[in-house]
Amino acid sequence: MDIRNQSNRLAATRRGKDARRSLRGSMSIQILIILVPVFFGFMGFAVDLGRLYLVRGELKAAADSMALAAAQKLIGTDASVVDASALARVTVNNATGFGNRYDFGGLDIGITNGNLNSDVPDPTYYSTAVDALGASSSEASGATAKYARVTITADAPLTFWSFLSLGQTRKTSIAAQSVAGVSAPLCTACGIEPIAIAALDATDTVDFGFTVQNRYTLGYQCAGPPTPGVLGSSVSRIQYLLLDRLDADATLFPDESSQLYRIGAQGLPPNPTAAKACVSVNAAELVWATAVPLNCNLNRPPNGASNFLCGLASRFDAATVPTACANVVDADTIIGAEIADTDLNDLDDYTTYAGNGRRIITIPIVDALSGTGTMTVLGFRQFLVEPNPNDVTLNPSDVNARFAALYIGSVVPVRQGQFSGCQITNGPGKVVLHQ
Amino acid sequence: MTTAPAKTRRGNAMLEMAMWVPLLVLLLVGMSELARITYVYYTLQKTMYTIARYVGTQQGVNFCSDSDTIVAAAKNFAIGGSTDSTNTPILANLTADMVQVRIERYSTDTQDLGQCDCSITGCDLGSGGRSPDFIVVSIPDGYTVRPGIPYLTTDPILFKPRIRVPFGGS
Repeated sequence: MDIRNQSNRLAATRRGKDARRSLRGSMSIQILIILVPVFFGFMGFAVDLGRLYLVRGELKAAADSMALAAAQKLIGTDASVVDASALARVTVNNATGFGNRYDFGGLDIGITNGNLNSDVPDPTYYSTAVDALGASSSEASGATAKYARVTITADAPLTFWSFLSLGQTRKTSIAAQSVAGVSAPLCTACGIEPIAIAALDATDTVDFGFTVQNRYTLGYQCAGPPTPGVLGSSVSRIQYLLLDRLDADATLFPDESSQLYRIGAQGLPPNPTAAKACVSVNAAELVWATAVPLNCNLNRPPNGASNFLCGLASRFDAATVPTACANVVDADTIIGAEIADTDLNDLDDYTTYAGNGRRIITIPIVDALSGTGTMTVLGFRQFLVEPNPNDVTLNPSDVNARFAALYIGSVVPVRQGQFSGCQITNGPGKVVLHQ
Repeated sequence: MTTAPAKTRRGNAMLEMAMWVPLLVLLLVGMSELARITYVYYTLQKTMYTIARYVGTQQGVNFCSDSDTIVAAAKNFAIGGSTDSTNTPILANLTADMVQVRIERYSTDTQDLGQCDCSITGCDLGSGGRSPDFIVVSIPDGYTVRPGIPYLTTDPILFKPRIRVPFGGS
């Protein structure tokens, strides 16, 4: 081995090192070029994915609101789905600047913003929760719809992922679903009308012996002859009693006649104390003290009953207090809060009802009426109050406090109530989210 | 003579790294700050939704009274996890006073949606009015988030989350 050779080998080694080093340089550039998309991908995970989850959360909240609004309007009439769809859209209506939006609250839902589309189809309606949760193809008509399903889709903008080939459209579509509908039967119903009727057949847990779409005359209970007649084409006269919900501590409209009038006009007024605003199944109830039934031959109802009936009449006409109700304290003030029903027609078929629900009353069904002892609540059922024959309102000065009402079962969601405390399989529920 | 270029190259690498590190740090910090800001907004949105659904399922809520206990309880519950105000808020500096509940009435006849006034013909429960149809929970003046990037002064970001839900109570 001579020196020359050795120096040659050294030179060769040096050349090899140089070559490796320049190779390493080109490798790092290659790696950098390969890494850039990977890098954008990771940045996308950090920034874009978080934003997508945020958008999904906002869309879910908006879908929940829409479904809840829609389900409130499902009252078992043909027109209910149209009303429900209209009310659902109100939640995303941003005309006044308060509608639900998405993407940090910056984009309207349901309209196209630049290249970002958002689509809000009308809710779909189902008669069972299983169909609604499974988005079944068997959609229900207005008369049977009980559950509303809302699907909102909206494009969320991409930032880092839009540099990648998979995100070239610079947006991605996000969807949110929500199902709202009626709940299990309520054991405690609030804001209802505290007039009790006796079950015709206590063993019939579905309708308590009443027949859906039958017209009954509800008349205040009275004793002895003569038995008051029925109104119009009613099937029979059903006696009712007012349950005691006198609020002795009331500071607003404290007069008893005012309280009764108000209850007739809008059901039990909202109150944080459940005992004042609600009626519970299995609870023992007493008759309202100033509405203890009188003898039929006196030809007048107790004062409490006529005050209640005056309030009920305001559901047909919320502009003027009838002259027969002039004795109710503050009646002309209370009536200012009310609105009249928008459908005052005398209906034989509830599904054709097209009003705003003011004429619908939810009343407790009791085991037997008692003007002296306690009554046990069995459940709640609903009636559509009818105007008197050939009239657009009921007669608040009826000598037996009678009014005609169409039995509709338990199709209308009650606004407020609780589930605990009883075992019932039928009755009105309230609107809850199911998904 | 042969070692000099290698040294220069090493120097280059050091210089390059010195240039890249602040950028990398900025990128990393920026990423985590963006994530934090998104999280803050999401939490705010959830807080608004919680208040709205809490209030929207109660009965006897008087929206026209500043001292209504149910509204106060709902705000405290959503902000701190307890219906009284003793808990520390989940988001720093978020107080119940910042949150506003707006009441709205929808007219089925005219299909108009507008703010419900505090009177008997409106939604003032205290004087005999009926419940509103919708409630909007929002932070009208906004919640301020400042991205914290070292050695940089950043503009604060004002978030104004809101949610409109139907009033389901009575």
